[in-house]
Amino acid sequence: MDAIRISHVTRSFGSVTAVDDLSLTVPKGSIYGFIGPNGSGKTTTMRMIVNIFYPDSGEIRLFGDGLPENSSDLIGYLPEERGLYQKMTVQALLEFYGELRSAHGVKAEVATWLERLGLADRAADKTETLSKGMSQKVQFIATVIPEPKLLILDEPFSGLDPVSADAIRAAILDLRRRGVTVILSTHDMHLAESLCDYILMIFRGRKVLDGTLAEIQDRYGEDTIRVTAEGGVAAVRDLPGVEQIRDLGQVQELRLQRGADPQEALRALVERARVTSFSLGKPSLHDIFMRIAGPAAEEANHETA
Amino acid sequence: MRLHKVFTIAKRDYVATVRTKAFVFGLVVAPILFGGGSIGMAFLRGKPDLRDRHVAIVDHTGVVAQPLIDAAQEKNKREMFDKTTHRQIAARYVFEVIAPAADRRQQLLELSGRVRGKSLSAFLEVGKDALRPPKPGDDDDPLDLDVGRKTGPDQRVSYYTNAGGVDEMRMWLNGPISDGVRLARLAQLGVDIKQNPFLAATVRIEGLRLVERDEKTGAIGDARKRSELEFFVPLGVAMILAMIVMVGSAPMLQNVTQDKSQRIVETLLGAVTPLELMTGKVLGSAAVSVTSSLLYVIAGVVAVNAMGVAGLLPLTIIPWFYVYLLTDVVMLCAFAAALGACASTPQDAQNLAIVLLTPVMLPLFMLVTVLREPNGALATAASLFPPFTPILMLLRQAMPNGVPAWQPWVGLAGALVFAAATVWAASRIFRVAILMQGKPPRLGEALHWALKG
Repeated sequence: MDAIRISHVTRSFGSVTAVDDLSLTVPKGSIYGFIGPNGSGKTTTMRMIVNIFYPDSGEIRLFGDGLPENSSDLIGYLPEERGLYQKMTVQALLEFYGELRSAHGVKAEVATWLERLGLADRAADKTETLSKGMSQKVQFIATVIPEPKLLILDEPFSGLDPVSADAIRAAILDLRRRGVTVILSTHDMHLAESLCDYILMIFRGRKVLDGTLAEIQDRYGEDTIRVTAEGGVAAVRDLPGVEQIRDLGQVQELRLQRGADPQEALRALVERARVTSFSLGKPSLHDIFMRIAGPAAEEANHETA
Repeated sequence: MRLHKVFTIAKRDYVATVRTKAFVFGLVVAPILFGGGSIGMAFLRGKPDLRDRHVAIVDHTGVVAQPLIDAAQEKNKREMFDKTTHRQIAARYVFEVIAPAADRRQQLLELSGRVRGKSLSAFLEVGKDALRPPKPGDDDDPLDLDVGRKTGPDQRVSYYTNAGGVDEMRMWLNGPISDGVRLARLAQLGVDIKQNPFLAATVRIEGLRLVERDEKTGAIGDARKRSELEFFVPLGVAMILAMIVMVGSAPMLQNVTQDKSQRIVETLLGAVTPLELMTGKVLGSAAVSVTSSLLYVIAGVVAVNAMGVAGLLPLTIIPWFYVYLLTDVVMLCAFAAALGACASTPQDAQNLAIVLLTPVMLPLFMLVTVLREPNGALATAASLFPPFTPILMLLRQAMPNGVPAWQPWVGLAGALVFAAATVWAASRIFRVAILMQGKPPRLGEALHWALKG
């Protein structure tokens, strides 16, 4: 059974269509990453799943035929804009959020999660005394108590230090292992590649990518060369068959024109400079993102228009 | 609607509010602000200005000044000193008789100068024809004996002063001058007042309640005396209601705006619907109001018992008090939730507070009008106007005459329907506005959301 089935959903705000005819199926127990530029419709989609916004047309079903309005107790939602009641203690706040989704006591779960994320000694403190990282951990705990069947996280790692981010990442993976379905939005392409089973990219309200990372990359083929050569970016300029260069500092990423032979590019490069490494592969998610939504794509869109 | 969610929200808001210093402070300060006027007056009454009041009197009749001086001396003797402590408690009234001058206007100017120079508090001019009965040519209505109002300076007694506010001297003068003029007129007619003192005696009117038959004995009882406090008890009950409604509903506005500006709302909306959220918040505020009302109601009952006027407060009013309180709080809190959702910053909320309190402030401005004529057309209509019903109908019900039995029920039905409509409309505005940031919506937009969702 799928956790979420979205069919031809459209949602507009005045003259702006935030989500345009979106269809999506999220398998149960998977981690689905939503990527896309700011304002592309990720948050609106999440808000519709959580029933904060209603679709203008189309339908959303959860865990079979469940309607979002009847499923809020199954969903843990961490919005992008999140705050805490400043005058409440950590313990009272977490119990409050837990009781909102469960008629039963949640004290034991609160204690377990506080212990797990290293906040047990701050349970009696008011949330206004917490650091930003601690506050974000508390917000995460508030989302997963009681344990939801579906976890929706809008930018869960934004502003987190690496240690806190690792703790949250481990918690997400653990929840997935226990059968929880996770949807998260992120601007960190590396994180999406490493954490998500499936990736959805929305651009200007429309779905432009959907599938596993491998499926998405397969669509583009092996058209990306990663090279390290003496002279850096100067050495790789104007190589035959290369249409775009991305300078990563120590490494340069070259995109080949359709049908171009990578061997030609290698031969030309070896003639110019000493090459330390050369590999041919599929484009990274970041590269794919930039091909769709980067300045070059914007320019091409304008020209087409 | 899932009740456990509503109660969880209500419980949190209730505990968060009653634990704040602002709530405790408000419990103490609100009655002080409301009762401040009467406390201040009582304080000032206990600290009167004891300086002598010098008043000049220019008596063109030659016969009014002396009775006035006699009356002032009698008053000074009777009221200037406390009988037990012999401490001075009132100012002495001192009259100075000034002979009329040939140039009347010049004399008035000179006396005005003395008042400005503070050697006089005021001066009186008794017109030369003040004793004369009005003639048909003096006025449109010769039978109207209020001659001072429509005739010239010769026929009237004029009082000149630059005192502001309530002038006790002028209020006191009405009696002695009328008595003086009356005695002089009787003397002119040859009536010797000393032989017939009853002619000058004032008739006292005693205010009494209606006569009733004792249900047990069947005997016709004596009418009960009317008390001055009969006026204050209904006023106090209505003002306490207004105060509790304000104390209970005003924090709602800040509360919702705070949840919105601190980005707490969206997390909550992940677990509850906007209607559940708003209902929980309204319930929490209602519970806060009931908590504060218990304090005031207990204090009120203790106070009327201590003053020995417990009989003036009909106990049947207490259930009505709570029904009106809850109706008004629900109405206002739903309104506050909608306004709070429209505001993006505490500053916006502050600007909207006056709008929120209008349904309570307007009936407060009408209290005196309703007290004067509790069963008049205006009082009846205003108390049946749903936003005003809780305060004005309660005021009328608490008055000795009461109201026709149907009116509270009709008023309550209207108020309940209006409260339900307010909650419905407010929840629609709340749902749309609560996640909006930036400039607050225009009135037209908010109305559009209320009507069309």
